[in-house]
Amino acid sequence: MSERKTPRLMLLGLIAVAVIGSAAVYLSPSADSKASEALDNAKSSQKLQSLAELDGKAPASRKLDVQTWNTAEGAKVLFVEAHELPMFDMRLIFAAGSSQDGNAPGLAVLTNAMLNEGIAGKDVGAIAQGFEGLGADFGNGAFKDMALASLRSLSAPEQREPALKLFADVVGKPTFPADSFARIKNQLLAGFEYQKQNPGKLASLELMKRLYGDHPYAHSSDGNAQSVPKITVAQLREFHAKAYAAGNAVIALVGDLSRAEAEAIANQVSSALPKGPALAKIAAPQEPQASVNHIEFPSKQTNLMLAQLGIDRDDPDYAALSLGNQILGGGGFGTRLMSEVREKRGLTYGVYSAFSPMQARGPFMINLQTRAEMSEGTLKLVQDVLADYLKTGPTQKELDDAKRELAGSFPLSTASNADIVGQLGAMGFYNLPLSYLDDFMRQSQSLTVEQVRDALNKHLSTEKMVIVTAGPTVPQKPLPAPSDKPAEQPLGVPEH
Amino acid sequence: MDTLCSRMLLFLGLAPFMTLAATPPPTHQFTLENGLRVLVREDHRAPLVTSHLWFKVGSADEAPGQAGLSHVLEHMLYKGSRKTCAGEASRLLESLGAEENAFTTEDVTGYYQTLSPRYLGVVFELMADLMTTADLHVDDLETELAVIREERQLRIDDDVDAAVLEHFTSQAHVANSYRTPVIGWMHDLQHVDAKELRHWYQSRYAPGNAVLVIVGDVTLAHVQPLAERYFGALANRPVPRLLRPVELKVPGERKLTLQRNVPAERLLMAFNLPGLATAKDLHTVHALRLINAILGGAHGARLQKKLIFTDRVLNRVDTHYDERTRGDSLLLLTAELADPPLTDLEGAQARVWEQIETLRTTPPSPEELERARTQLIAQQVYARDSIQEQARQLARFQAIGLPWRILDEDAAALAKVTPQQIREVAATWLIPERLSVAHVRKVDVR
Repeated sequence: MSERKTPRLMLLGLIAVAVIGSAAVYLSPSADSKASEALDNAKSSQKLQSLAELDGKAPASRKLDVQTWNTAEGAKVLFVEAHELPMFDMRLIFAAGSSQDGNAPGLAVLTNAMLNEGIAGKDVGAIAQGFEGLGADFGNGAFKDMALASLRSLSAPEQREPALKLFADVVGKPTFPADSFARIKNQLLAGFEYQKQNPGKLASLELMKRLYGDHPYAHSSDGNAQSVPKITVAQLREFHAKAYAAGNAVIALVGDLSRAEAEAIANQVSSALPKGPALAKIAAPQEPQASVNHIEFPSKQTNLMLAQLGIDRDDPDYAALSLGNQILGGGGFGTRLMSEVREKRGLTYGVYSAFSPMQARGPFMINLQTRAEMSEGTLKLVQDVLADYLKTGPTQKELDDAKRELAGSFPLSTASNADIVGQLGAMGFYNLPLSYLDDFMRQSQSLTVEQVRDALNKHLSTEKMVIVTAGPTVPQKPLPAPSDKPAEQPLGVPEH
Repeated sequence: MDTLCSRMLLFLGLAPFMTLAATPPPTHQFTLENGLRVLVREDHRAPLVTSHLWFKVGSADEAPGQAGLSHVLEHMLYKGSRKTCAGEASRLLESLGAEENAFTTEDVTGYYQTLSPRYLGVVFELMADLMTTADLHVDDLETELAVIREERQLRIDDDVDAAVLEHFTSQAHVANSYRTPVIGWMHDLQHVDAKELRHWYQSRYAPGNAVLVIVGDVTLAHVQPLAERYFGALANRPVPRLLRPVELKVPGERKLTLQRNVPAERLLMAFNLPGLATAKDLHTVHALRLINAILGGAHGARLQKKLIFTDRVLNRVDTHYDERTRGDSLLLLTAELADPPLTDLEGAQARVWEQIETLRTTPPSPEELERARTQLIAQQVYARDSIQEQARQLARFQAIGLPWRILDEDAAALAKVTPQQIREVAATWLIPERLSVAHVRKVDVR
């Protein structure tokens, strides 16, 4: 299958859940947009009839009743009942990502990968067959901040109960068998070999190193060829005992369950985990030096990555930066970067920018691939687009469109059980209030051009960019002139 | 239906499957006068709707020298039309908050949007316009071809596994057009003829060659008038014959050896098999799906258990059988040898073959078959969690010319397959005369 563009990333990272009391509040037109509205209506009436016929009401979003409580062992639970399908999703999130590796890079990933490799009486194959025989899906993964374990199962007691029992043993009482450990380490080491042939991966590893220096976000979650062989089963046991403790866990639960059933499930899982408190939060990173580095690589394209430190999850400017980034390069067509680099010049398949707010300050990053002989010109073009955007900020029309897009895409964030469980997990993990999404939408819809521009300039600077490129060194060619038929502004949509 | 249900209950002991089988979601079907077939499935869980407009044209329809034409056309559709300027359709949809994209496969070219139901009319008006009045300017074609060549570099040429798979697939199909890569060979992407592209558009984007599937928080009364208004106005046009890529009865044993810059050696194997649309009886296809699940389609399947967990000769192995194809299909195995290696490629292939030979000679235990069956049925339940996935499934059946109701009967059909039939189907189809193999050896280019 070949798609026209890379599927859009979740624009907000964590827009979701929350019951939006009255969506109309956020979507009321501001006085500034009246002129644009009139123009849009005039334009659209000649072309798309369906647009002119829209009544201007805001799109509805799903009403969710999020229930939350703590288990006796201290795990935080977030639960949404959804009885339409005979299934449920559970996701456990632990502050057990690679930022907790200490001096053993790879420890968090290895511990997480070893969960389903052995429990009392069952080896890896038997565990897999146990889930499969019930039709259940087990999932796991470890990242910078968090480690996950998830279960999707049919909700009838005949499948649910044995699936939960197996899941609780896997997450709470793994045996970390030595033979599996050797195999998993080997797979990680093979992965490092594979990375050597992936210029994009090499560039992003180098970028994180330069961006974070000595900070725990600097190293790859997978560790490296030197650190992984040294890690022992004893270290895994110790890591599991503290990082997979109930007090360090969030349990997100969605599906065909009553509150009483959800409580019983949360208790069963929580009591199977090691006892212990939440781990301390990691420290803030230091500002890096601006730099440009090149990795020589015999690929056909050159990878370009530009980054600086962004924000943490609690930053009050998140809404302004998120909306501002959406206009710059937040996915899809029509962003400033996509328009200049792909649509007008055909230099890339996709160019994206993103803030990744994390527990400590996550990166702001722009990345793309382009043909090697135009990489220097393309890098300059990207820098110019950013500089121009920081200088002037978005136009009123861009801002209005971005707000409309945000309001329209909001229901997508809670479309399925899988979507909801992801949102609940992130909200629980970052300790956000249940009103978080409500607040986020309200803030976003009330932002002005000046507020967005000021927030972008407060956090970003063209002077601070850490740049890494990976590709072959070849004679450079000038960029093609922009297409003489640049993509026009979108057809107007009547304001809500 | 009652007898079927009670038999399944006995067979599976799985009550929740029955809940679903007994109450399939309300699904409506109608055909416009111009031949456009429309399916509407109601799913009222969230205030969203997904609209999938698929055309029955893909790389399997392309002549040699034209590889990638359908995909180029998919890109070019957004470059302006009577009602839109270049890029406008996407921007407009995005400004409404839609999750939208387009894709091309061997069998189809699809356009989809997921958004608030209140905007469904906008989607229909846009898509009706794009499928009939696209500009397809020569200047835009050159710019877009540059984008597509970048896409090819990114997805295929700079990704050794994707490049190997493309090469191998082109060998695994002997006498049918599934050998053509969806994105097109690079040499074909250097020169795409604007006239040929226009002809492709005019001949393949007829309403009668398309299916429209709507899933979400809508009713027939909401969707039908909108479909009549926007798509109903389009002229009836000739519909091209639906080509079915069919393989030779005895394609013969084939082997390809590649030297590539891989970190560990790779083994690929593929059997030429029928799909749902070409099998003489569906029962064979259901048995093949279960064989795939038993052999290598799950983490706890035989190949994984024996060759990764126990013998450790492989780092990774997966099998895949896609039965929902317009023509014949493949059971495809991809494996990466352990590094450092415990056996060579010939040795690894022999060990895989041993597992296949066991399937050909010994029926699986009832428990093992039950496990495979349960996985497949549960995945069908889980598919209902996503309106997009439901739409894809419905559209796929429509697009390959099969009734979507096969989906509703899936659990019952799987329940009928016996261990003995698994052995028989394996013995009939998993034979050397249907096998292609690729050995990918290491070479250091640097």
